[in-house]
Amino acid sequence: MSDYTYPSIFFAYFLFFLLVAGALFFFLRTIKQGYWGCHSEDPKYHMLHDEEVKHDDK
Amino acid sequence: MTGKENPSPMTVPAAAPPVHSDTAAKWFILSSIAYFFIVGIIAVTIAAKFVWPELLGTIPAFSYGRLRPLHVNGMLFGWLLAADMGLVYYIVPRLCGVRLWSEKLGVATAVLWNVIILGAVVSLLAGWNQGWEYAELPMPLDVLVVVAWIMFGANIFATIASRKYAQMYVTLWYIMGTILWTAFVYLTGNFAVLFTTGVNQANLNWMYVHNAVGLIFTPVGLALAYYFIPKAGEVPLHSHKLSMIGFWSLAFVYVWTGAHHMIHGPISQWLQTIAIVFSVMLLIPVWTVVYNFIATMKGQWPQMRDNVPLKFLMSGVVFYLLTCFQGPMHSLRSVNAIVSKTDWIPGHAHMAVLGAFSFFAIAGVYYVIPRMFRRGLSSEPMATWSYWLMMVGGLGFFVTLWLGGFWQGWQWNNPSIPFIDTVVALKPVWTVRFFSGVLIFLGIVLFAYNIMATAVGASEKRTGAAAAV
Repeated sequence: MSDYTYPSIFFAYFLFFLLVAGALFFFLRTIKQGYWGCHSEDPKYHMLHDEEVKHDDK
Repeated sequence: MTGKENPSPMTVPAAAPPVHSDTAAKWFILSSIAYFFIVGIIAVTIAAKFVWPELLGTIPAFSYGRLRPLHVNGMLFGWLLAADMGLVYYIVPRLCGVRLWSEKLGVATAVLWNVIILGAVVSLLAGWNQGWEYAELPMPLDVLVVVAWIMFGANIFATIASRKYAQMYVTLWYIMGTILWTAFVYLTGNFAVLFTTGVNQANLNWMYVHNAVGLIFTPVGLALAYYFIPKAGEVPLHSHKLSMIGFWSLAFVYVWTGAHHMIHGPISQWLQTIAIVFSVMLLIPVWTVVYNFIATMKGQWPQMRDNVPLKFLMSGVVFYLLTCFQGPMHSLRSVNAIVSKTDWIPGHAHMAVLGAFSFFAIAGVYYVIPRMFRRGLSSEPMATWSYWLMMVGGLGFFVTLWLGGFWQGWQWNNPSIPFIDTVVALKPVWTVRFFSGVLIFLGIVLFAYNIMATAVGASEKRTGAAAAV
């Protein structure tokens, strides 16, 4: 029987790497997109009125 | 300051145009509640088997070894994750200001999910079981879960991609995190684990088990709480920036904690220490979340008298704080030496999955069902009763198992006590656990009946404005 221990652990490490890289990438983008600036509190007010929105998208 | 004189969150608001069809959300939520009830029967049965081991004789399908995985998988994937997915289908289009990308794809996902759960019932009762904690489902069903998750994720991401507002509310961040993290956690726990052997295999399995709670049910549960606490209380979140700090600290910290399940086991000391350090660091995201919710409720606590979704939500927040304080503490080597593998652990796990995340989901269901079906809840007193039954039953269950677990651990640490004596000594604990479980189950029955009665229109309590729509 072949032992796939090392390939499977490297696969798990690869997934870890993808997650960390993705998290870093999107975290840095949030800085650019204003989540930490003066408009950072806007979304909490939008969400209170979301059910009354009349959509014209489709 | 008194709470606002709001109408009950379980009545239909005066102006509620039918913008969303919510078909996929209805399919997921109603089927998840059916599984909550059915698997609740299994839960009470296995709790009874602790007290009366001869119950149901020697029929293999009804043995503890087959019913227990069915209970775990049924509650995790049949009830909680399905309810969470249904609520996500409700929330995401509203937060994005657009319709769901594809209701048909959502319904197809719900049908496939039901096929998976029914397949799990048959295969687990028949003893077809991979033998891994939380990953008992046989391989064909694992593959179907992956397919269903891709369908779910594609639908949600496509909806978010077409959103009206550039900045996303924190709930959307948690939902996107859940979709990506679940893919990673599920693939590792159900596929990569099969190619390893020995200690590495056990280590991967426990990373999956811990992250099933920490990176699947935690982020989606918090997504619901961040949405429904402000909505049910009609009050803005205390701080969106703080919520983002909580999200990103969870994203960077949670994944490293799984090895704390193997402390004092045959894995490297450095790996155990890393798991302990990151477990303690979890207190950062947890406290940002809990502080934000409590600060949001400032001046709003009187609403708790009549607002059933808020009762469930804020009780869930307290249970979330308790369970997330327990987790880091029992990852410490000295505490772990006592509580590891004892009844403390199911007490802890039930407080997380039932007390925190199921309470969030139940609150969400009570909030959305009247809005989706455009009629008032069938019975508000029954909803209050369901809360108190689950609350009292849950407290009895959790506290008994913590105390029993400590007692059990101390006995196990005394080599002069024969193991069988420690089993006999715990019978009073398991008796209280059974009767607490009966109370929880009665709460589930009232919850399920109330929701189903509302869905089929057993009690038409439309407000005038809603009836005119």
